[in-house]
Amino acid sequence: MSTIKEFLTQDHRRCDELFAQMEETAVTSLDDAKVLCREFIDASERHFQMEEKVMFLEFEAKTGMTQGPTQMMRMEHTQMRALMQDMLRALEAGNKDKFFGFSETLMILLQQHNMKEEQMLYTMAQQHLSAESDRIVDMMDSIIVD
Amino acid sequence: MELNGLSIDQAPPISAPLRFFLTAPLFGVLAGILIFFSDATTLMSRFSTESIVITHVITIGFLGFVMLGAMTQMLPVLAGAKIPKVKSIASISHIFLVLGSVFMFFGFYQSNAFYNSIAFFGLGSGFLLILGAIAISLKSVIHFNATVKGISVSIFFAFSIVLMGLYLLFSYITQEISAMHHIVANIHSVWAIFGFAGILIIGVSFQVLPMFYVAPHFKDFCLDRVIPIISVGLFAWLGVNIFTPEYAYIAKAWVALFFWAFTTTVWLKLSRRRRPITDITIWYWRSSSIFFTLGLFSWVFGEYFNNEYIVIVSILIGAGFILSTMIGMLYKIIPFLVWFHLNAKGYMSIPTMNEMINKNVSKLQFILFIASLLGFIVSFFVPELLKASAISFILSMIVLEYNIIMPVLLYKKTLQTKPDFDMNMMQVAN
Repeated sequence: MSTIKEFLTQDHRRCDELFAQMEETAVTSLDDAKVLCREFIDASERHFQMEEKVMFLEFEAKTGMTQGPTQMMRMEHTQMRALMQDMLRALEAGNKDKFFGFSETLMILLQQHNMKEEQMLYTMAQQHLSAESDRIVDMMDSIIVD
Repeated sequence: MELNGLSIDQAPPISAPLRFFLTAPLFGVLAGILIFFSDATTLMSRFSTESIVITHVITIGFLGFVMLGAMTQMLPVLAGAKIPKVKSIASISHIFLVLGSVFMFFGFYQSNAFYNSIAFFGLGSGFLLILGAIAISLKSVIHFNATVKGISVSIFFAFSIVLMGLYLLFSYITQEISAMHHIVANIHSVWAIFGFAGILIIGVSFQVLPMFYVAPHFKDFCLDRVIPIISVGLFAWLGVNIFTPEYAYIAKAWVALFFWAFTTTVWLKLSRRRRPITDITIWYWRSSSIFFTLGLFSWVFGEYFNNEYIVIVSILIGAGFILSTMIGMLYKIIPFLVWFHLNAKGYMSIPTMNEMINKNVSKLQFILFIASLLGFIVSFFVPELLKASAISFILSMIVLEYNIIMPVLLYKKTLQTKPDFDMNMMQVAN
């Protein structure tokens, strides 16, 4: 089984791929891009919840840090959720310029967020939670998204 | 356990990078004015007072300021390295560097030892303070990826060129130009361009191109080997300049070859990027690759013309490659910083990043800038073009300042007028 770090990093790449497909499609068809946008939002939401409902809680319980890095990541999730909805609304309104405006902003926010997680938080989580790694990955994998 | 990189105050205060970014184009304007009032024949010699001053207005005042400002922002994100007391360090070193630079320019023009002494103190303390803080922050890095390694190597070269620069400046104060002066100047200039700026750009590109343009990732060979190989070439340049100057061309060809490979790779990766957008930053990446390729070949083959074309090489590489890359980066980083900081403070209904700078005005800026560089090169052969090129350069810098100040004014205005304060964000933040 993959480690917490590998599992969540792979999931980032999956979301990145959906994001890239959505942008590529938006050049030719906003309707098709809308479908991919919803798919991307669902995949991202699932990723956020795997972290917020499982990994962050385990990390906080183990380290006792509830106001540290996980809190910062939650805040960035909120920022990104808002941008994703803006992006979808722009597609629904058929406004390509606005869509690419939001997607550009989301892209940079998302990438620097992922980098912080992959380079630091996941590494730390793996160190602290290595004994329970399989159980945590299992729980994340079987999460039911609200 | 190291958590600084992710703590709630992880992002440095916006003022730290912005004070450097907003100052840079002003030095650009100053450089343009100095070129306007210079004589074309004087600028053809790299050792004329005018050439030295104008070069440093650009390299310290523009390139140095942008790179230092960018590092205060990038290190926490790219490397998880938090610069200690970043707000104070940035503001103090900024003041020292501005003062030091201005006094150096006056000191050189007037051959004034007192002004040069102030410049020595200002530039020395300004650079060593901020570079020291960056070096300390790098000690806290957990995960040394290729980008962080690149930044670390470039910081080593930055320290070296600052010390060499101080040595050179000191000899102007004491008026004792030693036999080593020209050798140190040769190493100082090549290490500054290729060691500090060049390696920093390579290191940052490793992350930025795949991330922001969804370009293919760099291959492991490139990530692991290019910076060490170039560093070997730069040390060889040091060695041959001191001991066997007749073989300097070998080190030159070595460094040029791998930088050319890098810039070609950047071009190809951008051509294969998946993001369908072509914005001003892509134009700048493209122009930087073209100018750099021409510059590298001119540098190597200029060997056969007794270095008389070194000024053209400096324009192609210093302005065409490095300045292009830096300006392109400013167009990306400033709107993002403004958006990020406002959003994190709870302001949701703000313009998106690409609405903050008028696209047509940024295209105008690009055209003015490229026209000025081409004009400078042609004016080497047709001196009458120099003044028109200088005007184009000044205008490009004024428009650049306007373009980057607009998002900053938006930031200030939003904080003052508080258009839509979203309490939900604050609840999450707290």
